[in-house]
Amino acid sequence: MQGEIIHRGTEQILGMTFNMETLYMTWLAMAITLIIAYLAVRNLSLVPRGWQNAVEIVIEGLHGQMEGTMGKGGRFLAPFIISLFLFLLVSNYLGLIPTFASPTNDLNTTLGLALLVIVMVHVLGVYKKGSHYIGHFFQPTPIFVIINAIEEIAKPITLSFRLFGNILAGEILIIILLKLMPIWMPVPSVIWLAFSLFIGAVQAFIFTMLSMAYLANAVKEDEHE
Amino acid sequence: MIDINMTLVAQILNFVILVVLLRWLCYKPVVRMLKAREERIADSIQRADDDAAAAEAVLADYKAKLAQASAKAQEIQAKAEARAEEYRATKKAEAEHEIEQMKKAARAEIERDRERAADDIRRQVVALSMAAAGKIISKNLDSSENEKLVGDFVAKLDKAKIGDLSC
Repeated sequence: MQGEIIHRGTEQILGMTFNMETLYMTWLAMAITLIIAYLAVRNLSLVPRGWQNAVEIVIEGLHGQMEGTMGKGGRFLAPFIISLFLFLLVSNYLGLIPTFASPTNDLNTTLGLALLVIVMVHVLGVYKKGSHYIGHFFQPTPIFVIINAIEEIAKPITLSFRLFGNILAGEILIIILLKLMPIWMPVPSVIWLAFSLFIGAVQAFIFTMLSMAYLANAVKEDEHE
Repeated sequence: MIDINMTLVAQILNFVILVVLLRWLCYKPVVRMLKAREERIADSIQRADDDAAAAEAVLADYKAKLAQASAKAQEIQAKAEARAEEYRATKKAEAEHEIEQMKKAARAEIERDRERAADDIRRQVVALSMAAAGKIISKNLDSSENEKLVGDFVAKLDKAKIGDLSC
């Protein structure tokens, strides 16, 4: 569409519409994530050195967090959570490089991830707790099913739009600042880039933590009831 | 700006692929290594405890052996001292005995010499007396009677006077 700030490179393939720009950037982010992960675990040794310390701190910290929120049963979700955080972080930062765009500035990406999380929540909930899980939507009285349904529908929407909005706004402002300011006045751009670094990390963290909290609800063994 | 299309499905697929790849590439080795390290540390602690216990046992053993050896050394020293004392005493006794023997032998020899000397003197006195008497009364008495006479005289003299001679 003419006049748009963000170009998505929309194309028709086999009668289906794809945002090629988003896909290319996603593959780039995936590649960067994989390279970082590979470099981090290339030389694992029993006595940790250098990068291995950082990787271990992240993984052990996430393990602790997951055990705290999900119990022992949540261990198998660790790779998913770690991948989610790494991918979102790399994606958010990718858009800070001029001419590149974040995959997360496309609602398709964020909504896709949010839906994946929510579907996982419900599938795992039914799988782990059976009818009990479905029953808790009708608590404390059956009329609450409406409120619960709204809540469940709100989850993926808030999850995806929060990330999408933050990243898209950040990128638009980067482009606009570069266009508005003369080239000898880089201060606002630099400040905004620094702030975007912070935002990118915070949004990746929030998305991951909320996903974890939602998943915890489904996976955790109930102490009461 | 907000247009949902097939990209959504593609992104879900992309992310699932990424999760699988990361799990295989990164997560598994790290977890395996963490587990290995956990086991290794537990093993090391166990081994250290065992070693400490063994060291303690060996130390106690050595201490006992040391005390035993020290006692034995003392015993040996005491025995050696006693034997040295005994040896010295016997040597001393032997030496004293020998000295005594030598003294006795010397005294006996002195006695013999004195007797021989006294005999000699007696014989010479008899001979001289005989000669003197013979010269004086050469014609009156025969020699044998004279000799008897003088011998008696000398014998009397011998007992009374010569016996007291200090030689």
